Amino acid sequence: MKYEHLYVVMEHEGGKPVPVSLEMLGEARRLMDGYNKRYNANEKVVAVVLGNNVRKLCEELVYYGADAVIYADSPEFEYSRNVVDTKVVSAIAVDKNLVLKFSPQSTDFVKPHYMFFAADNIGRQLSSTVVGTLDSGLASDINKLVIDDLEIKHEHKTKGQPVMYERTLEMYRPDFSGFLWTTILCLDNRNPAIQRDYHPQACSIIPGVFAPIARDASRKGVIVDYTPTFDPGDLQVKILSRKIVKSAVDFDSKKAVVSFGRGIKDSPEANIRLVTELAKELNAEVGVSLPMSKKPFPVSESVSSTYMIPDRVVGTSGRKVIPLLYIAAGISGAMHHLAGMKESEFVIAINPDEEANIKDESDIFIKGRMEDVIPVLIEELRSVKPAMEVRK
Amino acid sequence: MTEHYDVAIIGGGSAGLAALKQLANLGKQAVLIEAGKQVGSKNVSGGILYSKRPKRGSTHNVEDVYENFLSEAPVERKITKYILHAVSKDKEFAIDLTSAHEYQANFAYSVLLNRLNGWFAKQAGEAAEKQGGGIVSGVHVRSITLNDEKTIIETDEIEPFEVKAVIAADGVNSEIAQLTGARPKFTPAQLYQGVKVVVKLPEEIIEQRFGIGPDEGAAHLFSGDITLNHIGGGFLYTNHDTLSVGAVYHYDSLLGRPAEPYTLIDALLKNPMVSEFIKDEVAVKQEIDKSLPKEEQLRIRFAVSKLVKTWNELRDAHYSPAARRKLVEAGKYKSEDEIKARLDSIRNELQTKYATRFVTDYVELEYSAKLVPDGKRCMMKKPYHKNVLFIGDAAGRGVFIGPRIEGINVGIDDAVRAANSVARAIDRNDFSTLGEHYTQQVEESPFTRDMREIDKDYLKTFLDAAKDVPKDIVGQRYGMIFRLMSSGTFRGLAVGFANILGYDKLLPMVESEETYVQVPIEIAERLGQTVTATYTPTIPGVAERIARLKYDDDRQPHIKVLDPESEFMKKLVMLCPTSCYSLEAGKVMLQHEACIECGTCAKETEWRHPRGEKGVIFQYG
Amino acid sequence: MGVTGSAMKELNLAVIVKLEPDFSEGNVSYNADGTLNRAETKSILGPHSAIACSAAFYAKVKYGARISVGTMGPPIADAALAQAQQICDADELHLYSDRLFAGADTWATAETLRAGIAKMQGKMDIVFSGHRASDGETGQTGPQTALKLGYTFLGHVIDYEVDMDRRVVRAKRLITLQGFYDVIEEVEAPLPVFIAIDPSYKPSFNTVSQRLAYEKYQKEAKARVANYKQYLKVFNAQQLEVDPKMVGLPGSPTIVYKVEKIPKAKASRKTEVIDGSNRAELRRVAIKIHEVLGGMVIK
Repeated sequence: MKYEHLYVVMEHEGGKPVPVSLEMLGEARRLMDGYNKRYNANEKVVAVVLGNNVRKLCEELVYYGADAVIYADSPEFEYSRNVVDTKVVSAIAVDKNLVLKFSPQSTDFVKPHYMFFAADNIGRQLSSTVVGTLDSGLASDINKLVIDDLEIKHEHKTKGQPVMYERTLEMYRPDFSGFLWTTILCLDNRNPAIQRDYHPQACSIIPGVFAPIARDASRKGVIVDYTPTFDPGDLQVKILSRKIVKSAVDFDSKKAVVSFGRGIKDSPEANIRLVTELAKELNAEVGVSLPMSKKPFPVSESVSSTYMIPDRVVGTSGRKVIPLLYIAAGISGAMHHLAGMKESEFVIAINPDEEANIKDESDIFIKGRMEDVIPVLIEELRSVKPAMEVRK
Repeated sequence: MTEHYDVAIIGGGSAGLAALKQLANLGKQAVLIEAGKQVGSKNVSGGILYSKRPKRGSTHNVEDVYENFLSEAPVERKITKYILHAVSKDKEFAIDLTSAHEYQANFAYSVLLNRLNGWFAKQAGEAAEKQGGGIVSGVHVRSITLNDEKTIIETDEIEPFEVKAVIAADGVNSEIAQLTGARPKFTPAQLYQGVKVVVKLPEEIIEQRFGIGPDEGAAHLFSGDITLNHIGGGFLYTNHDTLSVGAVYHYDSLLGRPAEPYTLIDALLKNPMVSEFIKDEVAVKQEIDKSLPKEEQLRIRFAVSKLVKTWNELRDAHYSPAARRKLVEAGKYKSEDEIKARLDSIRNELQTKYATRFVTDYVELEYSAKLVPDGKRCMMKKPYHKNVLFIGDAAGRGVFIGPRIEGINVGIDDAVRAANSVARAIDRNDFSTLGEHYTQQVEESPFTRDMREIDKDYLKTFLDAAKDVPKDIVGQRYGMIFRLMSSGTFRGLAVGFANILGYDKLLPMVESEETYVQVPIEIAERLGQTVTATYTPTIPGVAERIARLKYDDDRQPHIKVLDPESEFMKKLVMLCPTSCYSLEAGKVMLQHEACIECGTCAKETEWRHPRGEKGVIFQYG
Repeated sequence: MGVTGSAMKELNLAVIVKLEPDFSEGNVSYNADGTLNRAETKSILGPHSAIACSAAFYAKVKYGARISVGTMGPPIADAALAQAQQICDADELHLYSDRLFAGADTWATAETLRAGIAKMQGKMDIVFSGHRASDGETGQTGPQTALKLGYTFLGHVIDYEVDMDRRVVRAKRLITLQGFYDVIEEVEAPLPVFIAIDPSYKPSFNTVSQRLAYEKYQKEAKARVANYKQYLKVFNAQQLEVDPKMVGLPGSPTIVYKVEKIPKAKASRKTEVIDGSNRAELRRVAIKIHEVLGGMVIK
């Protein structure tokens, strides 16, 4: 077939995959297992990796679900650069000789059937330029994927006639309101007037949505080495320096945020520890109310410089967060703070004062002091965890 | 490479801008450095700008500096009525002080400083540009180095630059004064704390309610029980389509018995007469049924918000002849009747579809606070340090004598004098006598005289206005000297004697709880008529007031508490207008939600303005 | 000391902007089915587009530049161009407006923009775009337009300088490496480049003379906006010389197949008060927390 296999473009930092890479592989594995069964096919999940000394990573990717890994290893790929990465990924995607190494029957191969990228800072842009280079279409920020046969009637695509599109990737994208799901399809033009093929059917995937599959070191896969060629023009972009920004507070990719405010006052140091322990239990980011960033309470330097900082402020003067779960511990709920968290999916407040403003913005209001409530809550979270895992 | 300019003006308030304009008028190059993102965003005033024509000496007035002021400036209303109300509970007695207000005045306008200073900035900026200077906003001056040969200005935002002279116009909490050591911080005894709210009220409703024409305005002052026994008073000025309502108190009176500034202003708003002045028709949204799906709740919320916004805007236009005309001319409506019809239909839609209620209440747009330096007590004797000249609030200058309240015009007068002195020094290329020359210019200002001694002619005007007040109320409390002053024959003698005594000794006698509280209460109770309010205003709490302010937090704290256990700081827990402080286990902590940079806490804190573009952004001022 | 004193060739800058619905409360309106009521919602220059304009303005103040602003949209999109001109003192405004452009996905939009940029006066040294649009656009149009132009694409730019002698751009990019940390990367690329500006970009003018020049151009912008139509050129598909098969719906590889409500509507908040000293109650909260965290991520 002309269009075969699902290519997943990996991202990593110094050979360690970013979480969404493994999440994409997991979803690709599940999709293609279902697909191969349904269509009695043998299409592969193909991971594509660019990097410097990434051979070891390739093996890991097999353990996480890839049937094949195509990698290009060169010092030029130490860090991502859109121009050269676009060229090499696009070249890999249309290289039949590479495909034949893991799928000898793919003799008609022209382009991948499907292609996944990460909807993050690098992948969002790389997907745009790679898919553009492949002259196909792209859906971004996807959180659900289905492959199905669809009958389509479209003014342009089918000239208004019903046409069956087989093995079509339905790409679900939550729209900006958060209430609506838009399904995007990338379809060949079957209208004779504008006849044209659009493959791969490609999308970028929101980090944190899909679960990776469990690592299995007994998995086997084919690792294919690709040797890129560079034109001088490809390498004109030079990375002069790269500085890690230390206080990386990551509200966006965490499902939960635990914030604290003035309620820590009776024993600030110990209470902040409690909050961070709770955050750790939930894999949550820690936020603070604005006054905390002005360091009103005496605490140890390490706690102060890690937590009582402007980067963590939730509210008008800081960040607006929309996690699945927001826990406000000892926060009374000044309007500036509420504006930064009230769109959270589920809100739990812990506060001894039932008159506190935060109550109106909470789904659950736990009346009590954080020093009393949080330790019990952590115990209970741990004790119910095994049962909850089973239910999943 | 260090850039060079002739003059730096620090602070883009009315005074600093006038200095810039005057220097440009004299063909001199100057740059004005303003910390706010835009000129005007940090400025607050009570709200009246005077132009004066004293009998002795002359003042530099706003219209002298800005030649097109009278024809183009975005002033609010010309104040043609000036009334003092003695109030006690629901009793009110009015004393018409319009003649005292007009005393030696060309005119007076109510103003909102954000708008007005924006206009001043346009005029001054354009003029300064022609001389190679201009306005640099969003830049906060960090230090000034004054060597024998060089004056270098360092800022938080841009590279250092060199100038020949500096005009410091950075307000009552002048950092330049501290950096140069030109004067100590003002003490509470030298300051007033002013708190103000801007209230929305449509144009023609204002005119009808205050009995004024389209080109007229009214000022109402209040004294009596609204001050909760503090030395101070309230004011209400009509603007174009808003009211400025506020209260000003002696800071040391507040320190004696701390009270939250917002409770003081709330007491004023709750006075039946004030309540009636500010009332308007207000749309009250119905609580959205929380059992509805979330998207439906949101849809309703946004739909109602949009309709209410449109209703408000259209209603403002409906009550404004110019806006009505504009809508019709723009073809948006066929006639003024159609505007009214549309207004009614939106109101109807809100009522029937969304159960919105329309009630009598008032609409607060902005809450602000400011320290006011009492010129009589704190004007700098030598308003300079080396080649740095201080003007306006920064120099502690303002004329506040009973109902005579003048600050902006004093700052403008200072600005012209400072600019003239600097221009002279530039022409002579000699800055050695700059400070003395400026001091001499300031000494010649009639305002300086008013800050030193009582003007017996003004006093006469004032006392004549109060002639209906029974002598015994005043007499029994103030004794001989005031009885003498009330008599035409002896006034000159008495004032002369008082001036020999000096303001220092006289002021505590006059500016007392007696004058500001007991006397007005007694007048109101004995002579006053009854005023009833038809509703109870819904006054927002301080948290809501803060939440409505526009604010860009400076991540680097600009205030540092020096001694968390000091008695002064403990009082600040109540005295801070935005409740920035809290007391935790005997220690005062800065719980900074939204500092509005008034400087009330400056005396015992390490206090700087926030860095460029940061901090509060006032929309009205 | 002159800001624009360089005898170097002036820069030609393009900014591509987008008219977007004003989502602020009091202005936005939704239909009963949850979709945006576009007829009732006023449109404004998108906030990210505005940042792109301020980035172009930076070069105008600092190096001297000629700025062209282009947008694809309905005739009323000229309002966005006027707002853009106010920010960057544009010398030329382009509106690409034709029924044929309607319904375009990012790839077809990029084709229209490519053709539009080619019609701008002079060969563009830098093209700026916003990070992404707030009404469902994806951040793809910028990179795809760059690709079609054959320009080097630099995304997430938070700061940049131009070396006028060497004709290269030095840019700082802020990149979040998910699960690791953020990095600020300094890159150098020869002109021409396409820069997608990060939302956190803030131009910094760091001398008095630059600040004064900034004020001067701002004033000029204000005067220009008063007559913005004088700077405006409107192009239809024919005038842009694009292939109708490559733009609009026919030129779009992707289609919207269906729109549906996300099944699990957000729970409305009805506060349940729980006694913090009751362990059994807290166990219930713990179970709820696990349930909530198993939910779907919408971003």
